[in-house]
Amino acid sequence: MKRKSISGFFVFAWIFLALFTLWTLFPFFWGAITAIKSPGEQYSTAFLPYLQFKPSSYAWQVVLGQAEGERTKQGLRNSILVSSVSSLLVLFMGALGGYSLARFRFSRWKNRDIAVWILSNRMFPPIAVAIPFFLIMRTLRLLDTLPAIIMAHIVYNLPLAVWLMIDFFRELPEEVEEAALIDGCSTVQAFWRISLPLALPGIVAVYILCFVFSWNEFLFVVTLSYRKTMTMPVIIAGALTVRGLDFWKVSALSLLAITPPVILAALTSRYLIRGLTLGAVKE
Amino acid sequence: MGKAQPIGKGVKIGFLAPSLLYLMAMGIFPLVWSLSLSFHRWKAATASSPIFVGLKNFYTIFFADPRFWNSFRFTVIYVFIVVVSELSLGLLLAYILNEKIRFRNFFRVVFLFPMAAPPIGIAFMWRMLLNPDAGIVGKIMGSMGINFVRWLTDAKLTPFVLMVVDIWEWTPFMFLGLLAAFQTLPVELYDAAQVDGASRFQAFRFITFPLLLPIIVTLVLLRAIDAFKLFELVFGITGGGPGTSTESLSYYTYTVGFQYFDLGYACSLSWVFLGIVLFVSQFLLRRLRKEV
Repeated sequence: MKRKSISGFFVFAWIFLALFTLWTLFPFFWGAITAIKSPGEQYSTAFLPYLQFKPSSYAWQVVLGQAEGERTKQGLRNSILVSSVSSLLVLFMGALGGYSLARFRFSRWKNRDIAVWILSNRMFPPIAVAIPFFLIMRTLRLLDTLPAIIMAHIVYNLPLAVWLMIDFFRELPEEVEEAALIDGCSTVQAFWRISLPLALPGIVAVYILCFVFSWNEFLFVVTLSYRKTMTMPVIIAGALTVRGLDFWKVSALSLLAITPPVILAALTSRYLIRGLTLGAVKE
Repeated sequence: MGKAQPIGKGVKIGFLAPSLLYLMAMGIFPLVWSLSLSFHRWKAATASSPIFVGLKNFYTIFFADPRFWNSFRFTVIYVFIVVVSELSLGLLLAYILNEKIRFRNFFRVVFLFPMAAPPIGIAFMWRMLLNPDAGIVGKIMGSMGINFVRWLTDAKLTPFVLMVVDIWEWTPFMFLGLLAAFQTLPVELYDAAQVDGASRFQAFRFITFPLLLPIIVTLVLLRAIDAFKLFELVFGITGGGPGTSTESLSYYTYTVGFQYFDLGYACSLSWVFLGIVLFVSQFLLRRLRKEV
């Protein structure tokens, strides 16, 4: 009796899993298929390349070639620059701040309260900061420049980075640092030579997380950039023309924007959930 | 907490200062500026400087702006429905994958895709799939004999379209969070329950669920706060329409601020919005604080 009920459960489990996987992957699959169709076939339901339709590189020639290549490449370049630079600065400040909250004891406020205050910055709805940000950048004459977007993305990611770094540093054995301090290292040396290298996996994970968040961020970029500094997400939004939606173009651009963060996230899958749950769930 | 060490005050503050100063300058200062603007009327397209109007903007929001209440109602219903659906589906999936299913790591990675992709890319991909004339979803439904493609033109249906996409995008979050939590549960409990003759459902209801409850509450709060800020899906799929049927609070504030350039009013709106989010966040922060 028991065996039977268990196998019944497994049949249900596998059917449910298969359906859910199909449901999750289908939009990506369809995007990839549409991106290799010619404009004439973009609305067809054919989905087997070579068998049902002849793959065409038309979309890629438009998106990366003469017609719009400059714009797309600029978008990719901006995305890479904004994400890598903002995450690097976030990491620098976040590692220092996280280390100080994990290891030192502050007297006026409790470490915990400082940490929670820092994290509460993450809760702000981006639109609430976007309007004053727009005004600040206009005053500083920084609209449509990369520094403006990088500065915005730092505010967006820094609270998360500090918060996660506290955890990563706290998980390190304190004894090693104490030994170094006894051997005559200064606090800064102990941090730089001992703790930072030991926390490297966590640091890399935080960097990648911030990179992904910055890459995907849309609202700040759309409010702070017009022409020169659009990142990939905003370039996609620009693919919507008066004529409507060119499926092949949207697919090709979306794939360009989607692939990098998805690959990065897959490489650090263990940390993605930890980051998204603000450290509440640890694997 | 680290042990008290003889560390100079300067060093301690030096480590923390960059983060604190940056967040003060670029996080708190903009909000204070926005608060002061929220007491002004400033239509940047026509007027050159803000005029002080006191609480008039807030009065308008609460008593004379049906569009605000419309977006508020839409956002709240949206958050409620997507969070409940994502939690239920996520629980079911996590429960299934917690069994000794093969390729568990494969599923773990596949389900990351929707969360890791840029939301605006997802929005446009779905807009393409759902296109009433040529989208694949309509064609598949048509081939099954269902000629029913009003979902992007019927104001009663569009909110649900957005919810479906949200559920597609974020169920994996609940699922992966819960799966990680499931795996921290002690196996002995289940063995004991099985010996005592508990059914699958009973074991879940009386053992697993109570143990998971704290993490479920945290995940729900996280997801609810995030869903409340809904912007990209609206921007990419419906543009708030038809009419204002899918206008979220973020999207409405964005429209007032960056389409109408009514900056004073947009700042008041964003402070009302901020107030709601910060209120809900307190519950989340209190839970996370315990773990520090």
